[in-house]
Amino acid sequence: MATPALIAHRLTRRFGDRVAVDGASFELTPGEIFALLGPNGAGKTTTLRMLAGLIAPTSGSVQVDGAAMTPAAAPRLRQRIGFLTEAPGLWDNLTVRENLDVYAHLYGLADPTRAVDDVLELFAIADRASERPARLSKGLKQRVALARALVHRPAIVLLDEPTAGLDPESAHRVRELIVGMRDEGRAILLCTHNLDEVERVANRVAVLRSRLVASGTPGELRQQLFAPRLRVRVARPAQSFAGILHAAGASDVRTDGEWLSIAGTVPTPTIVRVLVEAGADVEAVEREEPSLEDVYLKLLHPERAQA
Amino acid sequence: MRMVALLRKELADERQNLALFVPAMIVGVVAIFLPVLVAIVIPSVTGERLSSSSDFQIALEMYRDQPATRGLDPEAAIQAYLFQFFAVMLVLIPVTSSMSLAAYSVVGEKHARTLEPLLVTPITTFELLGAKVLGAFIPSIVLTVAFFALYMLLAAVFERPGVAGTLLASQTLGTVFLLGPLAALAALQMAVCVSSRVNDVRTAQQIGVLVILPIPGLLIGQLAGALRLTMPLIALIAIGLLVVNAALMWVAIALFDRESILTRWK
Repeated sequence: MATPALIAHRLTRRFGDRVAVDGASFELTPGEIFALLGPNGAGKTTTLRMLAGLIAPTSGSVQVDGAAMTPAAAPRLRQRIGFLTEAPGLWDNLTVRENLDVYAHLYGLADPTRAVDDVLELFAIADRASERPARLSKGLKQRVALARALVHRPAIVLLDEPTAGLDPESAHRVRELIVGMRDEGRAILLCTHNLDEVERVANRVAVLRSRLVASGTPGELRQQLFAPRLRVRVARPAQSFAGILHAAGASDVRTDGEWLSIAGTVPTPTIVRVLVEAGADVEAVEREEPSLEDVYLKLLHPERAQA
Repeated sequence: MRMVALLRKELADERQNLALFVPAMIVGVVAIFLPVLVAIVIPSVTGERLSSSSDFQIALEMYRDQPATRGLDPEAAIQAYLFQFFAVMLVLIPVTSSMSLAAYSVVGEKHARTLEPLLVTPITTFELLGAKVLGAFIPSIVLTVAFFALYMLLAAVFERPGVAGTLLASQTLGTVFLLGPLAALAALQMAVCVSSRVNDVRTAQQIGVLVILPIPGLLIGQLAGALRLTMPLIALIAIGLLVVNAALMWVAIALFDRESILTRWK
């Protein structure tokens, strides 16, 4: 496994009596998208700000490329981090190019003009370079903001709700760009509410509700939370085959019209053979995949979610 | 380098938002119009010479013993007195301008949510504040110089010969170009401090206006004969303003704490 680009160790942040983030630990490795999920107020933005060295943790630590994020080291380490804030935060009185140019200079780049040209090209906004952000669509503004976050070619990219409020096409374009960043080898932390987005792009997922409730690949989380189930469609109402499957050793059989949902350790060929021998015309057999939304809801509300 | 980059952005931003300069322009127009009104227009309309008015006799006696006005005839000496007297109002130009620019610059960033991306860069608080302060200060001083040049031009065109030259006396220059910038610096630092605790530009400007109050006080004090802006007094006020500025800078940096900005600004 690659050396982590960023390590959060038992990050905790209190605001008065309120604990915004409580002992969150995780790692971010180059070439992966790590999604941080959680309801509003779960501490996602606070976590991002601590990772970027914008606010100090009450306890715990952040390491960027092995160096501790301290107030003294923060300006230097921020050079390695690109941060897309929740709002694009563009200066409306400046053109797109001027916006990016200021940041290229703030990062002390050797050739700011070239760096700006590169990101304008990369994010396909070169033709809008002389326009003011106020005239751009929300999706284009977000692309400019992403370009700004990447103008200094950071190894670590922190994204706070990058597709919030975007139309499907713009969101798709932004997602493509995020995947492109990962494919270039950057370590990406993606904070979002959009579970579908996470399903599409994330390599690993963590669910935060002040504490880190769970962490792993989507597949690992499904395995942890849900027993494997098999879905079988038969030509007749499925109810009539439930008893036969019980008798064959399936512990939990549910039916829904022509569908059977079977949990347990009975091998798939056995289930199919039992059904066929019982006269069922088996039309489809598939592994039942709980959606990430099921996983998320079960993690946040184990008492409410269906097992 | 980073401060220069942000300063350039501030100036470019202001160029696109010239309405910010309107309050200072109004103050400037009033400042140069008042002496013209009192020294030129009113005497012309009423046909009464300033030197024959008993109201100005004290002023005449005060100013005739000044090296700059000693060679002037009585009418010109009173005109010089009036122009020097109203020059205090020119101090209001940089104060008004820098206050409105600084309030906009900070509260504006807050409203546009442009500050957090900025704070993510390696820029230090000092560089950030320095750019904000200079971004408001430089145009204010340019505006003041422009209005002072106009003031001189009006004095040269409309007043008696020699009057314009008296405006180059150390008191006038000290008032406009020493007290003015120092008061402007205090005003804009005040605006920065206030801006970090309020949410709209007008509130920041209204609270910052406290800095302006002593300036009309100087004007009234001179008019009432209670004080006269001599060089020692100007130097004393300048030292006072330096102390105020140092204190305000300390407060501004303390209030501009990044964490507070990110977690408390709503």
